[in-house]
Amino acid sequence: MLAIILLLQNCTSDDRDIIIETPPPSGDYANGIFVLNEGGYTYSNASVSFIDNSGQVYNNIFYAVNGRGLGDVAQSMAFHRDKAYVLVNNSNTIEVVNRYTFESISTIEQDILNPRFMTFDGDKGYITNWGDPADTTDDYVAILNTETNIVINTISVSEGPEEILNNNGTLYVAHKGGWGYGNTISVLNASSETVISNIQVSDVPGNMMIYNNDLYVLCAGKGDYTGDETVAGVHKINLATNHVTDQIIFADGVHPGYFQIDNNSLLFTLNRDVFKVNLNDFTLPEAPFFSTNAQNVGVLYGFKISNGNIYVADAKDYVSNGTVLVYDLQGQFQENYNVKLIPNGFYSNN
Amino acid sequence: MIRYLLILLFFYCGALYAQVTPVTELSEVNLKYIKLKDSVYTTTQTVLSDSVLKRNQSSLTSLLNYNTTIYLKENGLGMVSSPSFRGTTAQQTAVLWNGININSQTTGQTDFNTINTRGFDQVVVKSGGGGVIDGSNAIGGSIYLENILDYNLGFENDLFLKYGSYKTYGIDYKTSYSTKQASFSLGISRQGSENDYEYLGTDRINKNGQFNNTNISSSFGFKLNKRNIINFYANIYEGKRNFSLPTPNALETKYNDFNTRSMLEWVSKSRNLTSNTKVAYITENYKYYPNIARDFYTYGDVGSLFLKYNLDYELGRILLTGGLNYNQNNGEGSDLAHEIRHLGSAVLGLKHKVNQRFLYEISLRQEFNSTYESPFLYAAGIQAVITSFYTLKLNTSKNFRIPTYNDLYWEGLGNADLKPELSYQGEMSHVLHIPNASLTINGYYNKVQDLLLWTPDVNGIWRPKNAENVKIYGVEGLLTAKKSIAAHSFNVSATYAYTVSTNEKTNKQLIYVPYHKLTTAVGYGYKKLSAYYQYINNGEVYTTTDNATEHILNSYMVANFGLEYNLGKKTNTYVLGAQILNLWNESYESVLNRPMPGRNFNVYLNFNI
Repeated sequence: MLAIILLLQNCTSDDRDIIIETPPPSGDYANGIFVLNEGGYTYSNASVSFIDNSGQVYNNIFYAVNGRGLGDVAQSMAFHRDKAYVLVNNSNTIEVVNRYTFESISTIEQDILNPRFMTFDGDKGYITNWGDPADTTDDYVAILNTETNIVINTISVSEGPEEILNNNGTLYVAHKGGWGYGNTISVLNASSETVISNIQVSDVPGNMMIYNNDLYVLCAGKGDYTGDETVAGVHKINLATNHVTDQIIFADGVHPGYFQIDNNSLLFTLNRDVFKVNLNDFTLPEAPFFSTNAQNVGVLYGFKISNGNIYVADAKDYVSNGTVLVYDLQGQFQENYNVKLIPNGFYSNN
Repeated sequence: MIRYLLILLFFYCGALYAQVTPVTELSEVNLKYIKLKDSVYTTTQTVLSDSVLKRNQSSLTSLLNYNTTIYLKENGLGMVSSPSFRGTTAQQTAVLWNGININSQTTGQTDFNTINTRGFDQVVVKSGGGGVIDGSNAIGGSIYLENILDYNLGFENDLFLKYGSYKTYGIDYKTSYSTKQASFSLGISRQGSENDYEYLGTDRINKNGQFNNTNISSSFGFKLNKRNIINFYANIYEGKRNFSLPTPNALETKYNDFNTRSMLEWVSKSRNLTSNTKVAYITENYKYYPNIARDFYTYGDVGSLFLKYNLDYELGRILLTGGLNYNQNNGEGSDLAHEIRHLGSAVLGLKHKVNQRFLYEISLRQEFNSTYESPFLYAAGIQAVITSFYTLKLNTSKNFRIPTYNDLYWEGLGNADLKPELSYQGEMSHVLHIPNASLTINGYYNKVQDLLLWTPDVNGIWRPKNAENVKIYGVEGLLTAKKSIAAHSFNVSATYAYTVSTNEKTNKQLIYVPYHKLTTAVGYGYKKLSAYYQYINNGEVYTTTDNATEHILNSYMVANFGLEYNLGKKTNTYVLGAQILNLWNESYESVLNRPMPGRNFNVYLNFNI
């Protein structure tokens, strides 16, 4: 009997570590695009993939280089000089790495709570934080000294600060909303570290882009599930006056996802379709520019125009490895790449 | 697979050789008064008695993990825990408290770490569909939490004290008094732990994992006369848990549960008729604090009234049963509109013992409600005693699971057009009953349709819908054996399950369903000394629906060892015991990124007067 019991002890299979893929022959992750895979909420399996310009995919590069996981829900990434900053939302950390070798430089933990997006001005980094997500009054922008990797100050802002952009020392923060739903853009002075004004926009401002001295903001509007559905809009804001100078208002019940501006055209996603707006006439087109229907996207979770390609992230059912779909600028499907759990963003490293 | 089967075969052969006396009496062939729900004529059930409960840890999670084929998904020790019974989802196991279904009306499942087994006299695990008798959610199987009323035993007291690693403590006291006519018992149990164990192979500890809970249970029985008995049962549970951090710098959260259950039962017997009337009221309440530093919380609150009437009529070798059930749920929450729903059902059953060797049973249930489609359910089975040591059982059933409050009424996202999940299953059991040992081999097939799932749309918004169909089949082996040689006694119980549970569309195995699970418990007694060894081996599980190998959670084996000595004399017992949990210091997780404790220790004292 004892022999049998002892025999039974040996049924555990060998450990199955994350497959370590060899880095590119050049030794660095240059000339390609990073894909951030946020990973499953609380599962601590966020990762970074790299697709080089020849189409070779390197997965789990943070783990491969540093021998540890990235953390729990990688929200976004930002570059500053030779460093890359990965904001890990549910870990309340920012991983600072060399943007080419991906070797870890520092992990920032102090004064970071639910980090969302980051931008830079001079030697300082500005990080939007939701704080305690259920507290609508503790949201802030953390100011990081990029030399010491220490948060030196925080600026209190209204609820749900999401994307943040810098225009020559003026910071624009989109209040998408965290617990609730926002409808403003905060304007901050980077050097005085104060909020100087607010710009009213439609509900749920998500993506922002600066193009030809204008700030464009895509507001998805509140969905039907909020019990208070509102219309979506794209707003064009003059950066000199901070006034809305033009806007597109969508029909009732239409809630676009993401947008990008390239070559005087604004492309936005709506369900599985991509629409194109000419910035000169700034009106909604009737028909989609192209559709991702044929690629059977599960959850369209990231959208980026970079190096003459349109990248679409497919997060599948959130419980499977995702896919990156690549289209040319005419909307023709080119190829797809297998990445990891819940891809949500693209960051060119050319 | 082959390796497991060989091991099992070897194991069983060894046990057969041992020529021992039966542990479980399976041949209750007399068709006297039988409560329909107690029937095991054509299905399989495992009884975990008080002595088994005491040697296990107090949570239902740990008890079932070490003693049944059920896979338990535990978010770290003591945290949220849910079962996968016969390859089904967390909501497809019904938990019944003295016959009343207590699965949460908001989530559809029971958190097995909010059930303190010290509050019950026995826990019964019934495998396979039980929709006709147990109602909604009994698709993979049912767990019965039972309080037993004894008569004519006088005054009895039982005190159980336990203390161990991570400042884990347990204090359980049960007092009971019974005469020929009346029976009363009151049990109080308090469990708690700092739960700050190390994560093996790392420099991290389980931060913010502390918990405590209190359970009070009481039962009262009174025989009015020869024909009428009145019983009353009550249970109060309060649990306070901080949720352990998934990453070291994460925001600290906590979760409080407060559940009450009470039931009045009237049993009336005449010559051929037995009627049973139950009125029960249960409440469930949770509060989730997303940040322990603040008073803000979200909550769910449901009160449920049950009326159950059952009438059995004996006609020679035939037992006819009819029943009516009414259930009202009254619930609300932070994200739930206040709703009251009414559910009703009627049940008809027939059992016929054709002769000494052959029995069949058929039961039917029609649901009534205004909220969604009301399914018609059935169960039918036969039991054939082929030889003195071999019994064959066949069973088929149609079962269901109703949409939860969250599914139906979540503000903005709830879906009023949901249908109940339906499960069609068939099962064959071979029971080998040899002297001092019994071996049950089950094979089953289960097709679950219109699974109620929250799935994201293309914009990433989660909504509930009847999303998938699942095909499940599997094989189980259950063994118990016992032997005594002079002053030495040995007993063994073992379970093994092979489970294939696939999504019909993708043909992929469901996440968190292991292909293999093995449990073994071996006990040895010599005079007043006893030793026991528990062992489980859980096969690897997928954590992603594409079954990607890099996200697999590794298989693991965990063993516990215990030693106890009885200092008492005659019927009084004074037991002093000690346990080593996770004896081999295995590093393991049953849910991704939720490490479980390494080797740890406890000592206990049990006085029974």
